[in-house]
Amino acid sequence: MASQSSSNPSASADWPGRYHHIDHILDTPGPRTDPEFAAGDQVKNFLRKESKILVIGAGGLGCEILANLALTGFKDIHVIDMDTIDISNLNRQFLFRPKDVGQPKATVAAEFIMKRVPGVKVTPYFGKIQDKDDDYYMQFNLVICGLDSVEARRWMNATLVNLVDPDVPDSLKPMIDGGTEGFKGQARVILPTITSCYECSLDMLNKPTAFPICTIANTPRLPEHCIEWASVLEWPRVHGDKKMDTDDPEHIGWLYKVAAARAAEFKIEGVTWSLTQGVVKNIIPAIASTNAIIAAACCNEAFKISTSSAAFLNNYFMLIGTDGVYSYTFEHEKRDDCPVCGGQAVDITLNPETTVEQLIETLTERQDLQIKKPSLSTPTKQIYLQAPPQLEKSTRPNLEKKVSELVPPGGEVTVTSSTLPMSLSLRISYST
Amino acid sequence: MINDSKNVEESTTALATEEAPDNKTRRYDRQLRLWAASGQSALESSRLLVISGTATSTSILKNLVLPGIGHFTILDPRKVTPEDAGNNFFLEGPSSIGKSRAEEAVRLLCELNDGVEGKADLRSLEEVLDKDKEWLTEFSLVIAHNLEGGLLERLSKLLWEDESYPTLAIVRSSGFLAEFYIQYHEHTVIESHPETAQSLQIDKPFPALLRDSLALDFENMDVTDHGHIPYVYILVRVLEDWKKAHNGSPPSTYAERQEFKKLILAMRKKSDEENFEEAESQAYRAWTATTVPSEIRALFSDSKVTNITSTSPPFFHLVHALSKFVEEQPNHALPLTSTLPDMKADTNKYINLQKLYKERAEEEKKIFKSYLTVSVDDAMVDAFVKNSHALKLLRGKRWGSLDEDPKALAELVETSSKQLSTHLALSALTSLATKQQPNAPLTPTIEALTAEAQALLPAGVELPAEFGDAVGEVARAPNADLPNTAALLGGIVAQEVIKMITKQYIPIYGSCIIDLIETWTGMLPV
Repeated sequence: MASQSSSNPSASADWPGRYHHIDHILDTPGPRTDPEFAAGDQVKNFLRKESKILVIGAGGLGCEILANLALTGFKDIHVIDMDTIDISNLNRQFLFRPKDVGQPKATVAAEFIMKRVPGVKVTPYFGKIQDKDDDYYMQFNLVICGLDSVEARRWMNATLVNLVDPDVPDSLKPMIDGGTEGFKGQARVILPTITSCYECSLDMLNKPTAFPICTIANTPRLPEHCIEWASVLEWPRVHGDKKMDTDDPEHIGWLYKVAAARAAEFKIEGVTWSLTQGVVKNIIPAIASTNAIIAAACCNEAFKISTSSAAFLNNYFMLIGTDGVYSYTFEHEKRDDCPVCGGQAVDITLNPETTVEQLIETLTERQDLQIKKPSLSTPTKQIYLQAPPQLEKSTRPNLEKKVSELVPPGGEVTVTSSTLPMSLSLRISYST
Repeated sequence: MINDSKNVEESTTALATEEAPDNKTRRYDRQLRLWAASGQSALESSRLLVISGTATSTSILKNLVLPGIGHFTILDPRKVTPEDAGNNFFLEGPSSIGKSRAEEAVRLLCELNDGVEGKADLRSLEEVLDKDKEWLTEFSLVIAHNLEGGLLERLSKLLWEDESYPTLAIVRSSGFLAEFYIQYHEHTVIESHPETAQSLQIDKPFPALLRDSLALDFENMDVTDHGHIPYVYILVRVLEDWKKAHNGSPPSTYAERQEFKKLILAMRKKSDEENFEEAESQAYRAWTATTVPSEIRALFSDSKVTNITSTSPPFFHLVHALSKFVEEQPNHALPLTSTLPDMKADTNKYINLQKLYKERAEEEKKIFKSYLTVSVDDAMVDAFVKNSHALKLLRGKRWGSLDEDPKALAELVETSSKQLSTHLALSALTSLATKQQPNAPLTPTIEALTAEAQALLPAGVELPAEFGDAVGEVARAPNADLPNTAALLGGIVAQEVIKMITKQYIPIYGSCIIDLIETWTGMLPV
């Protein structure tokens, strides 16, 4: 306890009765409790003195997750977040106050929790999850993700799957993942290599709305088309290399003005400041209550897994609160050909006439793979590389070649891309 | 030149009407996208009472203070115990012990949003029920967590006495299990935020749409124009031709529908005309008859609609007018709306079509309004017409009526055994709490709880098989207000309270049961 109290001068030893409510659960098994459950001091000591938990994200879900974990008795909590606090966070990220705007979320959240819940140590890291290596992730018993980005989830998932060493039981780190949108959300438990992983379920994500560039340039019909015109075409034309900052009100103001003028020209109604901001920032509505539900579900699973006090979620819980309270709990199945946890190459059958360029297009359209700008190579040659520029240039002629000229039937192609958390193996066959 | 100057003028007017949002709008941006300014203003005028200052209660309040309710009061005479200080985030650990639980919680909750007014009332609910009942009726909504059976019955009966009295949200939890119920007489929703859009009425085209569709000279049209005709015109035209050739009937069999699709594709001048491909994929709109949904039709015969009086709430006047509109207008359909989905088209053709729909929608709205016998706010009429396919009328029952109805419980044993098991285990706990000294620790045995639950069922009906799982958990941790259960209830109850106050989205109908061992939620119908 001494090392923990040093981080918080007001911390004292647990006062009598502090864990009265939770001890009801930890002192006695219930009808559905695993027989392995070590009721009493053993489980309490593990939870309060030994376990170490990592929270990814200190935003809408993260704030809730940190508070729940602290009250539940986790005392060694680490949190990673690369963002700073914005005024639009304050309607739900309840550890932050107006005076904190501009400060790092991880740091402010950690300080708040340590002040409010004595004796809990929260170690913040203001930065990216990609800054940390395997040794870092190896120190935790469990990881909870409260993220708003698909890419970060894919990276975290792939990292934890790769960490698993069958000879080292501790290398398996359960990952609990939550996500919300408006009145809807989901929580899931991933046991890397054992249950379905995040990558296994990529095809469940909604396809993002993309407007064809010719519509934006030539035949706008919706206010969104005018806003895209302003941000995708006009901004770079007028401002050159200057980067658009969607958090800068002046930039949004400029985009709004340009979009509104275009809308007026085409007699399109409905361009507003709020819509402009929504489209360019890809804003997802978010409220405290939905975050509370999903964060609580995640932390409850973390508590059950860490204590064995009750069975845990197998393995996916989704909730829709727009029409009553509707939820669905089910087992999402592992995909044998999952590029992350399946350990097999993805089979793909091509027409022998298919060009490299067409293959690239097919790959970027596949909802279960979600690849942007892929680079392709075989064990012996580079087929097409997106970067660096000189290699892009030297491999560009291959785009027009048929894949069948470059890869024999049954041959493997390695796909890499900045959106892929791993390299993907394709096994190519040809239809005849 | 004239056109140019008009454009500039229009764009500057647009600029003047909307500037960068103020701080309040920025703070609430992510929620305004869900319930708009109307929902926000409803929240800001609401006054909530919460009994009492438990971890679950403060979790619920947190999710209501953050989005900005107007006022809340916590009614709680207790002092903070060491146990409270350990499980409630809105107490400050050991330094809160011995202080008023309501005052400490109000102070810390108010830090979340300085636009919200919070008050601590240190009386007991019993005292209020005995001496100051009227005070309870001044709130818009009352939330009660884990009240013992006798008090809960008094409170729920009192608030049921008059339709104008506050809605009551009843929350019960024990360890990993929980249940909540919202007691209301009647709840009407116009802005239900449906996932489905209104019909484009392609099968019943309005005169201007039919006229313009028939006037199109597809054969002699310029190729570029041809590839940019919105599918609505194409479908109206093909359907019209089809009906002429088929005694006025739309395609009805599978074979006919395939043939209909082929006719559409045969009209292409080039193989890559996306608007015709889109027309083919949207062809179902041509043969799907525009009808009034059965749930909306059922509203027309509701006694509050058929017996409309000048003092009836606007909702019923609007439904009454809608029923007249459907009955008397030649299409026998709901009023047309101007919401047009995006489709392959050039700007002019799309905007013209949008204008046609808008003008017609305005005309139909005028006709609709002529059926109204009282004056209703324009914004409300607009919202009503826009959502007339997804209106909602819910009629609730008094809390406790389920447990007083052995026959209904017996039916639920058959149909919803899992949900009912949790409900019965929690009901058994609530009633056992009434039978002992107030504030005494509750340590019920499985046998005692089972006997209470069994007594609610008719003679000869056995408790469901899953009851053992539920009652075992209740006996394991009868009083445990677990942080995660409290937090989850905090979110789920706050969502429902927001839906009740804003009258947007659809609240629960019945009891919501929560099991955090297997992580599921379920409903017991009213």
